[in-house]
Amino acid sequence: MGVSNSVVRVSSLTKRYGRATAIDDLTFSLDSGTLTGFLGPNGAGKSTTLRLLLGLAEPTAGEALVFGRRYRDLDDPASQVGAVLESNDFHPGRSGRDHLRALALAARIPRVRVEEVLEFVQLAKAADRLVGTYSLGMRQRLGLAAALLGDPELLILDEPANGLDPAGVHWLRTFMRRFASQGGTVLLASHVLAEVAQTVDRVLIIHCGRIVAAAGLGELAERGGTLEDAYLELTAMEAS
Amino acid sequence: MTALLRSELLKQRSTRTNLWLFSAMLGLVALVILLHGFGLSAEILGRRTSQLEVLGQGQRLGTLFAALLGAMSITVEFRHGTIRPTFLATPRRGRVVAAKVGVSMLVGVPFGLMAAAVAAGVGSASLAARGLEIRLDGGDYALLLVGSAAGAGLWAAIGVGLGALVRNQVPTVVGICTWLLLVEGLLFGDIGLGNVGRFLPGSLAKAASGQDPMTLLAPGLAAVLLALYAAAAAAAGWAATTRRDVA
Repeated sequence: MGVSNSVVRVSSLTKRYGRATAIDDLTFSLDSGTLTGFLGPNGAGKSTTLRLLLGLAEPTAGEALVFGRRYRDLDDPASQVGAVLESNDFHPGRSGRDHLRALALAARIPRVRVEEVLEFVQLAKAADRLVGTYSLGMRQRLGLAAALLGDPELLILDEPANGLDPAGVHWLRTFMRRFASQGGTVLLASHVLAEVAQTVDRVLIIHCGRIVAAAGLGELAERGGTLEDAYLELTAMEAS
Repeated sequence: MTALLRSELLKQRSTRTNLWLFSAMLGLVALVILLHGFGLSAEILGRRTSQLEVLGQGQRLGTLFAALLGAMSITVEFRHGTIRPTFLATPRRGRVVAAKVGVSMLVGVPFGLMAAAVAAGVGSASLAARGLEIRLDGGDYALLLVGSAAGAGLWAAIGVGLGALVRNQVPTVVGICTWLLLVEGLLFGDIGLGNVGRFLPGSLAKAASGQDPMTLLAPGLAAVLLALYAAAAAAAGWAATTRRDVA
């Protein structure tokens, strides 16, 4: 992997909360145009890694860079990185359109773009309803719309298919593949191995705060067995 | 920064929280003033200081609700998780706190103004209805309105600062209510820390609107000191928000 054109570069990243180590000396990078699955058991450190990448948390040691800089040092973060971390980061008493408009104003994105992303995620008709009345699938799509507002080059998604119906899952997969084929980069954290196996080019598997595998799906297949076999074997080990 | 102010203003306008706070405040002001205006004896209400104190109840409630709206502008974001998309859009988090202070002050001022205006209107009408002479002049009314508006604007900033420090909505709201309705009253009145009490932020807001001039500080000085409290609270909220992780 070329270091120079890395969209994401994580080096010796460590995060401790008191005496507990959530992330332990993590190193990986993502090149542009790749679609990477980020896998690991609950509590393995996936969410912490994503928060460190996005500047919501400060690393104890090491660094997490996007486009060669810390997230908070990006000049126009919305145009470079789009993220969905939780499926329910909305005020239930605000409409979907107003949620997006408030974010668009803060990121200096023209109002017409709000309507574009609403159309794109098929929420235009529900846009004036309060988010409290949305189904989980609609909230996921609203979160994705927010991530896409700035037309970013990197997408960081945590369980984006959660709550989507089969047609929605298919739509999301098609979208992510096209996004990557056009040079975009996707980091997709998920538990749903079957879905990940159908979608990504490569996987990062994290266990107890450490990367235990970083490989293309093809390489894993050569070792024999499915992604699930490899995942279960790698995450069954006790961390040292 | 203008873009961020507009974003924060839209956030405050696009839910019913502030409308609800505003209505609750006006209802309470009217209720409290009517209770005092018709509950107190004619002898007491005939005095100028009592009249000033009754009409000043509007200022107290305006200050309280402005503080709550300021606090909730940030605690509501932590409560519902919108703080994550907010900080992703504006990763220099201090700017978010600054915008919230600005917008909350902007919305807090009309809260204080309207609370004082309703109190003045209902209070004067109650006195007139009982045939009592109103011993307040135009200057008293003007100071009640202007001081209440200023006090509410500054307390809205204090609310943002406290909300940014505490983050959790319920303790923040309970803390502000307890402080303004109970603690300062106890320290100032019953326990008798008069000399210290008048320098506390609730008493300063009261003083800024010209109430209780024999014990409290002069309105101008009180407003300046309250502005220092507001600046300190905002700075503390700014520092905490810049440094602490977001879950």
